[in-house]
Amino acid sequence: MSTTPRALVVLDVIAGLALAVAAGMVFFYAPLERVMGAVQKVFYFHVAAGWVGMLGFGLAAVAGIIYLMRRRSRWDLLGVAAIEIGLVFTLINVVTGMIWARPVWNTWWTWDPRLTTATIMELVYIAYLMLRQGIEDPERRARFGAVYAIVGFLSVPLTFFSIRIFRTIHPVVLGSGDPTATGAFSMTPRMTQTLMVSLVAFSLLFVALLWHRLRLGELGERVEQLRLKLQS
Amino acid sequence: MEQPANTFTYFIAGYAVIFGAMLIYLVSLVVRWHHLRQDEALLTQLEAEKANPQARDQAFSP
Amino acid sequence: MKATGAVSFWQATLAVLWKDLAAEWRSRELLSAMLVFALLVIFIFNFALELQTQLRAGLSAGILWVTLIFAGTLGLNRSLAVEKDRGCLDGLLLAPVDRAAIYAGKALANWVFMLIVAAIMLPLFGIFYNASLVLPGVVLVVLLGAEGYVAVGTLLASMAVQARTRDILLPILLFPVVIPVVVAAVKATGGYLQALPLEEIRPWLNLLGVYDVIFTSVAFMVFDSILEE
Repeated sequence: MSTTPRALVVLDVIAGLALAVAAGMVFFYAPLERVMGAVQKVFYFHVAAGWVGMLGFGLAAVAGIIYLMRRRSRWDLLGVAAIEIGLVFTLINVVTGMIWARPVWNTWWTWDPRLTTATIMELVYIAYLMLRQGIEDPERRARFGAVYAIVGFLSVPLTFFSIRIFRTIHPVVLGSGDPTATGAFSMTPRMTQTLMVSLVAFSLLFVALLWHRLRLGELGERVEQLRLKLQS
Repeated sequence: MEQPANTFTYFIAGYAVIFGAMLIYLVSLVVRWHHLRQDEALLTQLEAEKANPQARDQAFSP
Repeated sequence: MKATGAVSFWQATLAVLWKDLAAEWRSRELLSAMLVFALLVIFIFNFALELQTQLRAGLSAGILWVTLIFAGTLGLNRSLAVEKDRGCLDGLLLAPVDRAAIYAGKALANWVFMLIVAAIMLPLFGIFYNASLVLPGVVLVVLLGAEGYVAVGTLLASMAVQARTRDILLPILLFPVVIPVVVAAVKATGGYLQALPLEEIRPWLNLLGVYDVIFTSVAFMVFDSILEE
């Protein structure tokens, strides 16, 4: 019970190596973009982090649906684990997006659909954690968490869609024009390869972190049960 | 030919944020894990004492 | 109500709705609080934004919806907190009715309250800012927007009131999720106030309708698992 499973150790090593390879490719292999320069290289891990964030939240919604049908606490643990990791990576996504935007669009923040949606998503899942904190009974906490994970994930595409047509009908001109056009660049094969490796590395990292977080959740559950048993 | 803009500091800042956030999360996982292990050890010890009242310290008995 | 077997869904829904409306008719606590609150929000906006009597249409749409939403949160919280505190929720659960009917009844009642507030706010707002807001289009948007808001709001409020931090929890849970409804409602209202051609307003109306359907049906699907002890 206490020792880390062999498969997890192997996965950790593979994820670590993959991340190192991806970072190496970003730093040394990927070409310098002609206009934006070095900051464009943030792009690889920025996109990969966004992908992991979406993966986490989507997985949590699926885990929520399965929890509501099966009522096994492991699905709830999976849901929290996925959301927590999703929050970390969405935060990375938003902050790196801002860092990229500063030199390229000349502003830390634009109300562009993707950036805005990612931030609202972050708020939704912070609310999720606050909801869970306010409920003591583990079974009820799991149920409510599942419901909110489903509703929250559903609202994400709706938010994105709303903001998107909000912008197309009334385009907001910020600084030097349409932000998506200013930051755009065409991908060379080396860039595509680097992006692909980053995506794979981050996906592996996601699975490894999820597993660790799941084990933490299981340990937490055991401790909670011990505590309840002692109190009674 | 136009030189690419010098945005190296932003690039470094970006990757500092990425690895920094990941590191903080990893540390938080490790810290929480250790706290829970301590709690678990303490609780199992208390439980064992409860199951075996003779072993209990005098001060705790009524 | 006779407890002989299951009451039909609509009977149960109407019973819950009727109970809420009758209780409100006796006390008038909720509506008066919502109305006074909404008025205060409008006044605060006036000073905070230094509004003139002639208001841009886009701005009034925004202020109108922010006011409605804040007042609506007040109402949602109250309407379910009362049930929880008086133990009515347990009574409702013991009754041999479909859980979804309880949800439908509560949501309808909240909808009615929001519409009453809107019905008073719209002409008042028009008087304060010297504009006519009571247009058929705006009324339609208010109907649709309030429905979507209340559909998610009732669901989330029934979770929030069962949490320890319930007074502060509802807006935090509700606002980020309900943003698409608010965006569509504000844009559609603004469109009608600016007398834009229908082709420019229709996408927002369609969106609002789609959101209402999605949120309402999901709420019906998951509400069962919120009320079960």
